[in-house]
Amino acid sequence: MKKIRKIKSIVALIAVLLPIWVMSACSSNSTQVEASGTRTESGMGSADKELKSSSYPVTVSHGFGDLVLEKKPVRILSLSPTATEILFAIGAGSQVFAVDDQSNYPLGVPVTNISGWTPNLEAILGMEPDLVVHSYLPEDIEDGLASVGIPSMAQFAAGRLADAYQQIEMLGIATGNQVNADQLVTSMKSNIQALVDRSKGLRGGTFYHELDQTFYSITSSTLVGEIYTLVGLENIADGADPDGTGYPQLSEEYLLAQDPDFIFLADTKCCAQSIDIVKARPGWSTLSAVQQNAIIELDDDIASRWGPRVVELLMVAVEAMEQRAGR
Amino acid sequence: MAIKVENVEVSIGAKKIVHRVNLEIPSRSWLSIIGPNGSGKTTLIRALAGLIESEGKILYDNENLRLLRSKQRAQRFAVVPQNALIPPRMKVNNYVLLGRTPYLGRGFQPTNEDIGFTREILNNLNLLDIAHRYVSDLSGGERQKVIIARALTQDPTVLFLDEPTTALDIGHQQEVLELVDRQRKTSGITIISALHDLNLAAQYSTSVALMVGGRVIRHGTPMEVINESVLEQTYDANVQVIKHGNSISVIPKRGNS
Amino acid sequence: MRGDRSQGPVILQTLSFRWIATSGLVLLIAAFLGLVVGPVGIRPDRVFFEILDHFPGVNIDSGLSNIEAAIVWDVRLPRMVLGLIVGGLLAISGASYQGVFRNPLADPYLLGVAAGAGLGATVAIASGATNGDGIVDALPIAAFLGSAIAVGITLLVGGAVGKSTSTASLLLAGVAVASLCTAIQTYVQQQDSTTLRQVYSWILGRLSTSGWNEVLMVLPYAIISVTVMLLMRGSLDVLAVGEEEARSLGLRPERVRWIVIGAASLAAASAVAVSGLIAFVGIIVPHAVRLVVGTSNRMVLPLSLIFGAAFLSLADLIARTLQSPAELPIGVVTAFFGAPFFLFILRSRSESIS
Repeated sequence: MKKIRKIKSIVALIAVLLPIWVMSACSSNSTQVEASGTRTESGMGSADKELKSSSYPVTVSHGFGDLVLEKKPVRILSLSPTATEILFAIGAGSQVFAVDDQSNYPLGVPVTNISGWTPNLEAILGMEPDLVVHSYLPEDIEDGLASVGIPSMAQFAAGRLADAYQQIEMLGIATGNQVNADQLVTSMKSNIQALVDRSKGLRGGTFYHELDQTFYSITSSTLVGEIYTLVGLENIADGADPDGTGYPQLSEEYLLAQDPDFIFLADTKCCAQSIDIVKARPGWSTLSAVQQNAIIELDDDIASRWGPRVVELLMVAVEAMEQRAGR
Repeated sequence: MAIKVENVEVSIGAKKIVHRVNLEIPSRSWLSIIGPNGSGKTTLIRALAGLIESEGKILYDNENLRLLRSKQRAQRFAVVPQNALIPPRMKVNNYVLLGRTPYLGRGFQPTNEDIGFTREILNNLNLLDIAHRYVSDLSGGERQKVIIARALTQDPTVLFLDEPTTALDIGHQQEVLELVDRQRKTSGITIISALHDLNLAAQYSTSVALMVGGRVIRHGTPMEVINESVLEQTYDANVQVIKHGNSISVIPKRGNS
Repeated sequence: MRGDRSQGPVILQTLSFRWIATSGLVLLIAAFLGLVVGPVGIRPDRVFFEILDHFPGVNIDSGLSNIEAAIVWDVRLPRMVLGLIVGGLLAISGASYQGVFRNPLADPYLLGVAAGAGLGATVAIASGATNGDGIVDALPIAAFLGSAIAVGITLLVGGAVGKSTSTASLLLAGVAVASLCTAIQTYVQQQDSTTLRQVYSWILGRLSTSGWNEVLMVLPYAIISVTVMLLMRGSLDVLAVGEEEARSLGLRPERVRWIVIGAASLAAASAVAVSGLIAFVGIIVPHAVRLVVGTSNRMVLPLSLIFGAAFLSLADLIARTLQSPAELPIGVVTAFFGAPFFLFILRSRSESIS
């Protein structure tokens, strides 16, 4: 009996690694995870993603392909702060029993000291979750969960707004809150559209989005960058990313020469930056954004997550534009 | 400078190298310390020059060595070591100029006087034509002269030489020792040397001290110390000592002759 | 016994006026280029007039916009000055170490300066103390403390082991201390992986300035350490013949050793504290200088100071313009351009010797 189990786990291991490797080459192989713990290669193409009913089992697509959930998960462990926000926003909060140490919204979520970055497999297993949602898991943790039959759903950082919407939909399907999820997406879209309408007629401009005090920024190829483009704001970092990383470090000279109309600070929490500190930086008093008080302090979390609160980010941007127009 | 050595003992670590040495060395004399290898000659010289610690008293013109500060010491005594460390790519003139170190001020900047003094020494020793060459490029004999030049640039009253002739051929040996003797006679320097070559010791020294096992077992004129029975005992060698006039020669004998 | 210096060969090599003028010129050029060249194109003639405008009594409109002027005075100038200071410190510190240890491979990071600073910096970054208001920046202080403690331990342990005058025990102690610091640093890094980016960029070296803070921070230490090293450079020439012979020449070798090591370590530690670990400068610049002027420390130390300053500020120029507007870490530039340059000099000199 032992020998068969050993062979089974080896096969399982290979079966896990193989599709991951193939996935990275952008093929359309898919694996099916069943709650019983074995994995088989599916010969089918992409599974049916359009299931509207909330009856189980359901198939959802996630970062590693497709995932089949046998029953409604009621002991969800979220290792991603964004996923936590989404889950609670779509009414699945009662199904979430634990979240990672970085999840802090909405208030009152069941925080643990499990780190989303360096999770401990035994601690997770000890909690006996029936679904783990994450934005990053080391491979051995993935395998560990799979070998015990715990489904894990990978929701990697969304690069585009469309991906964020899809993640919300998928979490809705997975947790049996399809309707709420649809409603959330619809309201997000309409809110965003309203904000875009508000911004029409307002003068656009250039902006600098600061990640930390050493002038790391984001380009329009990131989700946060995309948000700004919706209302016609131009990102000065777009011209300074020769490697296309999406997260270039700007030189101070370049920043000054660009003289952005708006400065958005996404490092108020992590790095204790503030409007006053930025104004006091040597040489920055010549910037028009400093002289016209167009420096906006953002909430670090809102500026770095891809959940429902991206709308708030857009609102801050539009308010900044309105304030400038009002002068 | 007259030197009085009283009950000097030197230990390195726990080991006593030099036992109870008592010597009187008159001014302007040349003392050669002879003896088998490992008898403590170098150690005694280092102690007398103040480079290592010793017990007992060493008086230079009745001035206690221990009371001298390092600069004062270096203005009085110069040492030509057995194996001098020759820095790569240092020119002769700069090397010899190092001898003026004890006279330099805080900034270690040589004055015109220092430079003039050095130049004079180089001139006296016929080293001016090689003054711009690297010391490391010189032949053994030239190098030894340069090292002696550096020592003389310290304007010492006592000159210590530790085996100055080891690596030299017979011509250079003579040249070097003649040079030193000339300095002794013209500038009044007292010379203390460790010499393993008995002939040279006999020819140039005014007094000889025989060291065996860290002890000075005989001290006197070359005639007194270098005789056949003493040598045979000390060195376990077969020798013949020939006197001619005021000088003596030591000739090793082979077999039974 | 007066000698006549004008007769026969001049036998003392000093820092002649020719050398002083040359080095001054090189410095001026490096400084001006540092103000003129950058990721943002600003016309050199306008910069020149802008500089003139700041002379008392001179009133010229340079044609620079406010922002361009801000770039020149608030961004480029402090950074250029910092580059000069750090480059000079690293170079003269390297030359001094090489003199004390009589070893051409001695570099200013030898006695644990680098490893200690790295540990200090990592701890500061990991503890979050490097965020917030830049006026009292914890990072340079922590790096400097780390250096000082590491060197202190090395000197204590290495100097205490055997009262011998050999420097071997110092070097070995330095190796041991460096290994220990690196091990602890690695552990701290592992505990908090979000620090990796910051630590890594610090390790590669970066001349980043927030106004004059960094310059003011390093200046007092720079002045003290450089003054001491320049005063002791003659004694390093005496040390070249070994410690025993130096003693016979009236030097007190231990005293010289501690003073020079102390000053050189202070220089290196303060440089590392504000700019990270910029490698190569402390080895390449003194060697290049030696190839041209010979081994006399009396010449090598001051010339290393000046040419090290010029070298680093030119390297920084390249670092911030080559991949503009992105920046190369300056440690990469010094290695990249320094090593072949050195090989070239070596080759041309060896050809002329043979």
